Amino acid sequence: MSKELNIWLDNLLEDIESVQFKRKSSRRVRVDVASEALPALLELLQGHASYVHLSAISCVDWIADNEFELVYHVWSYETRSLVSAHTRIPRDPGVYLSIYDLYQPAAFFERDIHEMFGVYFEGSPDMGKFILTEWDGPPPMRKDFDSEAFVNQTFSWEQYHPQWLKDIEEQGGGITTRPEDVR
Amino acid sequence: MSDIPYKDKGSILRPIKALSFLARKPVTEKIEPRPAAANYRGFHVNDWDLCIGCSTCQKVCDNAAITMVKIPGLPEDPVKGIRNERPAIDYGRCCWCGLCVDICPTSSLSLTTEYVHTCHEDELDSYFILPDPKGIHHKHFPKGWAKTADADLVDLERQPMEELDAEERLKSFDEMVEGFTDQQAIIEASRCVQCGMCHDSCPTHMHAPEYIRAIWEGNAEEAVRQIYRSNPFSHVCGRICTHRCETACSIGRRGEPVAIRWLKRYAMDSVSDLRIREIAAEGKVDYISGKKVAIIGAGPAGLTAAFDLISKGHEVTVFEALDKPGGMTRYGIPEYRLPYDRLDADVAVITSLGVKIQYNTRIGQDISISELERNYDAVLVAIGLQQGRSTRIPGSDHKQVKKAVELLRKITQGKAFNIPQSAVVIGGGNVAMDIARSLARLQKENYGEVRITLTALEDFDHFLADAEEIKEAREEGIEILDSRGPKQCVTNDKGQLSGLVTLRVNSIFDDDGRFAPSYDDSDEQVHPADMVIEAIGQMTDISLFGDELTERLEWNRGRLKVEQDGRSSEPWLWSAGDMVFGPDVVHAVADGHRVAASIEKHLATPGSW
Amino acid sequence: MRPENYQAKSQPPSNEYELNFGPNHPGIEGNYAFKVKLNGDEVLEARADAGYLHRGFEKLMEGRLWIQNIALVPRICVPDPVPMEVCYSLAIEEIGGLEVPERAQWIRVMHLEMSRLAAHLFAFGGHAATTGMYTPMFWGVADRDLVLDRFEELTGGRVYSIYNIPGGVRRDIPDGFLERLSSLLDYLESRLPDYDNLFFTNQVFVKRARDVGKMTQEQALKWGVTGPNLRATGLAFDVRRDDPYLVYDRIEFDIPTEPGGDALSRNLVRRAELKQSIHILRQVIDRLPSIKGPIRCPIPNPLAWNVPAGEAYTRVESSKGELAYYVVSTGGDKPYRVHVRGPSSMHAVQVLENLAVGCRLEDIAQIMFSLDACPPEVDR
Repeated sequence: MSKELNIWLDNLLEDIESVQFKRKSSRRVRVDVASEALPALLELLQGHASYVHLSAISCVDWIADNEFELVYHVWSYETRSLVSAHTRIPRDPGVYLSIYDLYQPAAFFERDIHEMFGVYFEGSPDMGKFILTEWDGPPPMRKDFDSEAFVNQTFSWEQYHPQWLKDIEEQGGGITTRPEDVR
Repeated sequence: MSDIPYKDKGSILRPIKALSFLARKPVTEKIEPRPAAANYRGFHVNDWDLCIGCSTCQKVCDNAAITMVKIPGLPEDPVKGIRNERPAIDYGRCCWCGLCVDICPTSSLSLTTEYVHTCHEDELDSYFILPDPKGIHHKHFPKGWAKTADADLVDLERQPMEELDAEERLKSFDEMVEGFTDQQAIIEASRCVQCGMCHDSCPTHMHAPEYIRAIWEGNAEEAVRQIYRSNPFSHVCGRICTHRCETACSIGRRGEPVAIRWLKRYAMDSVSDLRIREIAAEGKVDYISGKKVAIIGAGPAGLTAAFDLISKGHEVTVFEALDKPGGMTRYGIPEYRLPYDRLDADVAVITSLGVKIQYNTRIGQDISISELERNYDAVLVAIGLQQGRSTRIPGSDHKQVKKAVELLRKITQGKAFNIPQSAVVIGGGNVAMDIARSLARLQKENYGEVRITLTALEDFDHFLADAEEIKEAREEGIEILDSRGPKQCVTNDKGQLSGLVTLRVNSIFDDDGRFAPSYDDSDEQVHPADMVIEAIGQMTDISLFGDELTERLEWNRGRLKVEQDGRSSEPWLWSAGDMVFGPDVVHAVADGHRVAASIEKHLATPGSW
Repeated sequence: MRPENYQAKSQPPSNEYELNFGPNHPGIEGNYAFKVKLNGDEVLEARADAGYLHRGFEKLMEGRLWIQNIALVPRICVPDPVPMEVCYSLAIEEIGGLEVPERAQWIRVMHLEMSRLAAHLFAFGGHAATTGMYTPMFWGVADRDLVLDRFEELTGGRVYSIYNIPGGVRRDIPDGFLERLSSLLDYLESRLPDYDNLFFTNQVFVKRARDVGKMTQEQALKWGVTGPNLRATGLAFDVRRDDPYLVYDRIEFDIPTEPGGDALSRNLVRRAELKQSIHILRQVIDRLPSIKGPIRCPIPNPLAWNVPAGEAYTRVESSKGELAYYVVSTGGDKPYRVHVRGPSSMHAVQVLENLAVGCRLEDIAQIMFSLDACPPEVDR
């Protein structure tokens, strides 16, 4: 049964235009799909191919291409395979459709992506702050946010000066390379 | 679940069964330090005798917890690859992952089985420690997490270098080392931990970490750019350098050092000559200074200085007595180690910048040195060591007793000489190996067999030639005898040379460390040969200076006396290269840079003379 | 939320009131909070409030070398850190095409199941405490410590092993380790009846937990529930069997299920899994000595390791459910993106919000612990 469904799905996906299909292994399928077609594809996968479990939505900031990549990982308990549906949306304005009506777990992932990357999902139940309640800077997971620079500006390092170091400095030695010099 | 009887409603009294614990022996943990597991990742200890201060631990530390501290009094030796720095750890940042231990090239770092360190708020400094063998509290806890062979993160093995086998090598003077493929070069470059010991040990301080990194990134052009920052003789050095960098390489502490020389060669070979010229020209200024410099000798030292000075906009003319450039790298080093076209490529880069070379012009014969003094703002003498030294043993004035450098020069020039059917080479250095192996090729070609014996004063533990030279020479059928001192050359009754008599060496130096070999007269051997070749060292031909200038200049035991920057006692005259420092290509390059900097400083000073 | 940012709201007179439950509360796992709207002690609405443990792990990983991240990932889930290391390593191995030696795969299975034991002992102990039963809590925590002793011996660390590395594991097992592990298993197995008597079949607990936080299988699937929580609704799904990794397809084990979908069922599934993990570990102890060979495939110098461009989505069954890593490489020496999908990002947020509605205030803690929610997985 599950094998047949897999074959059926493979054939189906290969036939759909605007969908690039690649079976990576017996239980992993990669699909690249235009952003307009993705909700329909997910509907198909969920409604007709038993992919009822949304494992995750991952977001990747391809800043050089000025695009966000959204990856929807859906799992079928019946066919025991995972489809990762990749789509790209323009980084600006960074707005996309929610799939909450198909998959309820999307609420968490969409809220998280909104908070961390600044992608707004229309129709998602809650786009309010969740983890970064006190944060009013740019979405930090964007590639143009430099967290290390932020940390260096915001916090100060402990400045140690133990006796052994003072002794060494007296003899003409001392610190030569701080860790931040080699990062 | 079948094994959990919860479905039978059980009894509310069931937990009472736990009362049976009242009858059991209580578990008591003693309040005393509990020994940690043998593998525990506790506090750092560092064996200061093993640690070389390479700072690899600092680079792998994911929490930026390691600071390098210079400690006066510890050994420091750039040539051996030892710095007097040691890592200090900030236990406010350390997460005890132990990556520093697993990557440590020397295996000096490990973690102890000690559990606890704590302090009052005003003692925060105690979180910053300098690990030594005694441990954080000097309590000598046993080692916990330490380096194991199967968990080492350092790759101790080199990429194999393809070479022609001995049989194939002997057939011609073709280059014997094949060079890295792209893939091999990237893997070999990835072994580097970027400690910079190579940079410190290199006489010309090549930017090896930078060009190795560039090779690893697949960017050979950037590697060439980094190479040209410090060495315009990189085709040459990529093949025949004495690679002190590899001696100092921290990976070499426990494994095979990174093949830095072959990586340099790879970078140079993978970029087109044209592109190399463009990259080399990037550093050239776009104005003309109007100053003129004469350089005597188109070897590595002279041409390196020429490269630097032309880049600064000066007009540079090089005078070369022979008809081709390169000096000893051409006339001293056999072609199977350094193909002439690679040397030509290096020189072509330098001439492409505008350096003029006048060949077949011997200073002192064709032009006098005083003429150069008049016509140029500065003169650099870099004529190397062209004359072979003699053993001066009885019979060494026979015409079949030859000097290695002169013979090598003839082979390069293609001048005919009588190839001996059997030969003895006196000397245990690389020049001795070069002449022995060159003759071996000629013998093979002419007579089909190799009959060469090499006798050296040194024993094998103190041999001067590189180990691989010895190995390869043996593969090529050359007999190598250690601890043998030459006594005399013998002739037959027709006056023809018949061989060399040697004695066993007792010691080479006297108690004061002076060269004074003593021999065991009872252990005498005769090595039959129709040619004896002396390869015991070279000296400078100083005739070019002329009597008057020789008188004016200051000398130091036969060598021209120069200041640190290469300037002689005459303000217009500098000297560089082998004639000052002894034979070594990369030293000559370094010296060329140093002297060029001194000349440049002189030329930039207005009205300095 | 910082105290200075609290603002009192004026509300019309009503029996309803709001309560901040957490972030420092014994009934909450870790630092996590709920804003609860109550009528008396009946919960009308619960909203998760995360962020107290946010350390930006995913961002940090983008700035560190591939290998350096192995020191970081276990910190994403304190009670069950090993699956984090394995899942991260599996992703890099898939992208980089690394073949993990068989011996290392068996050692990893052993390490993972030890971690599951430790996590389940912790979980039921924690749950017991929420119902006022402190002896099982002490037992759970004390017996977990014995597993930590074996962790210390195997990996050098008690809690954060930092033992798995892309390509294999960092050290071979110490001499005599399997014997000591075996006697630990015997001891733990002998403890199971004690746990049953005092906790799992204790009618105080059974009555207290039955029908609390109850969900149907349909709801569980809709809400993205995984792991023991899903199996407690009767669905026998386990990543180890259904999407196998390492050598789990060569190991025999049952997938315990319970039909109830309530806090009791979830605990009983975990209780049964303790037994299964012991069973798996015994198989490893039998097999491991005969599997020779290296413990890690050759990997490049970590300071100069470019993982080829590519992406991988790897999943493992952690003690809490489906743990997944999405790793993207652009061929550099650092990851371009690492996305951590912790099972608790469903359980601690949406599922808990749904299950809390209609229950009594004191049950929130019990539901959270029965879901074995791990807030740092939400915050990352």
